[in-house]
Amino acid sequence: MDGFSGRAAIVGVGYSKLERRSPRPLAHFAREAAEAATADAGLTIDDIDGLGTIPNIAAYGNTGDLEGIDIVTVPKMAQLLGREHEIRWHVQTPGLCPDTIMAAAAAVASGACTYALVWRAVNVPKGRYSDFSLARAGGEHQFRAPYGFTMPAAWQSVALRKYMHDHGSTREDMAAFIVQNRENTQLNPKAYWHGTPLTVEDYLEAPMVADPFCLYDCDIPVDGCVAVVLASAERAQDLAQPPAYITGHAQTTWPTRGGFTDSENMWDGGAAMGKKLWASAGLGPDDIDTAMLYDGFSIFLYVWLEALGFVKRGEAASYIASGATALDGELPLNTSGCSLGEGRLHGMAQIAEAVLQVTGRAGARQIEGAAHTVATVGAGSLASGGLIFSREARA
Amino acid sequence: MSSTDTPAIKPVPVPDEVTAPFWEAANRGVLAIQHCEACDYYVHPPEALCPRCQTPDLEFREVSGRARVYTHTIVRDNVTAGFAEDEPYVIGIIELVEQERLVLVANVVNVAPEDVRIGMPLRVTFERLTEDIALPQFEPDGEG
Repeated sequence: MDGFSGRAAIVGVGYSKLERRSPRPLAHFAREAAEAATADAGLTIDDIDGLGTIPNIAAYGNTGDLEGIDIVTVPKMAQLLGREHEIRWHVQTPGLCPDTIMAAAAAVASGACTYALVWRAVNVPKGRYSDFSLARAGGEHQFRAPYGFTMPAAWQSVALRKYMHDHGSTREDMAAFIVQNRENTQLNPKAYWHGTPLTVEDYLEAPMVADPFCLYDCDIPVDGCVAVVLASAERAQDLAQPPAYITGHAQTTWPTRGGFTDSENMWDGGAAMGKKLWASAGLGPDDIDTAMLYDGFSIFLYVWLEALGFVKRGEAASYIASGATALDGELPLNTSGCSLGEGRLHGMAQIAEAVLQVTGRAGARQIEGAAHTVATVGAGSLASGGLIFSREARA
Repeated sequence: MSSTDTPAIKPVPVPDEVTAPFWEAANRGVLAIQHCEACDYYVHPPEALCPRCQTPDLEFREVSGRARVYTHTIVRDNVTAGFAEDEPYVIGIIELVEQERLVLVANVVNVAPEDVRIGMPLRVTFERLTEDIALPQFEPDGEG
């Protein structure tokens, strides 16, 4: 366990409502989530003196970046909270949620601020999620966009095809995961797909987006915001909820030539992240009681199960199909439904559910006695991050 | 799709300081791939420094144009102008024979989408996009 792990905790979790194409501006969702997270911690907005977010727009190839409508940046949140004078620390950087969580954890552990609010606010873009509308393709786009390789779903679907080819898995195998995930979602009242079950036939007969990806291999875009409050390990002990101590952390940059062209990079970069993550915590896959692995697209579950060492390379599909990752299995996976079931929150769904599980607050989907959980965000390639949350400060 | 007075065309590559030799060669009907002379390693897309040994000693070499399907997808739901009317179309991750995992993106053309298979032998062909830009594309190579 490294010197930083165990010195900060998530002490509050708050969700806005999750809707689709809401007439309300994103700023309303952000304020709602901030209030919910601070109240959950037993604090008020007036206790918050640190702010952190990933302000990226949710769309690829689109231009929507209106403050308070499409994005909610640090300055906007400070204004929404009426805290411009009191914010002592903030960070705002494009990237992944664990980047911001780690920066905020360092801030509260060092005393740069006392209570840091970290949020991710996303909306359903106007028009289509991936309408690449530029007439000229420069930079990284020049070797992809002219070929119509302009959709995130297409970038990742090539990895599933290669996986099915190399390891003999089938769409029925993936259906087993998607259906299991949708069952978990039915135990999560805040999820977008709560109340909408899905069968194996629904999955197999769904419209193809980028073959072998169908509609249900892609997460569900929502308008919404998730916020969490961080505090130092010392302060965390006196608040309203049991703390979820951050006992492991890793960020990995894995620049891959050609972006998503060589899907093997997802496993290479994911494994590099996993190695650092386990080392930082002094824990390994066998210590984890339930896992929240990033699922912006279905193939990422295979990547993370294998890259983190839960199973060997090529075994994730059959492991899931065996029932091992169900709520009553040996490694309950994405117990809230995460991005595919709860909504596209760019990894905050994973972080929030990992916190709720390790603090015994996951309701009907609670895994009895969960002491250590892991959350990963990203695709393995390009960049990824991981966090381990524990019930005790020292793992 | 929004209605428009101009015909939909595909996004046109914009060569830069690093990538210009690739596009200049393609415009002449030649597939040229960046190669690190220091560590004998092909690099694509082109880079400012070799990603393996970090030297700036990079040249472009004409390659055979022979390749295989590394993996691929069949796109059926793209709204981008210039592509929606092509659907279904195949995006191939194309592995050149010169080096393991030396891959580039191209459409697999002159074959029915459902007949494309991982491992299928391919050869390069060129699709003229503008006066200055031709796109390397790949088609089945019967001689394998």
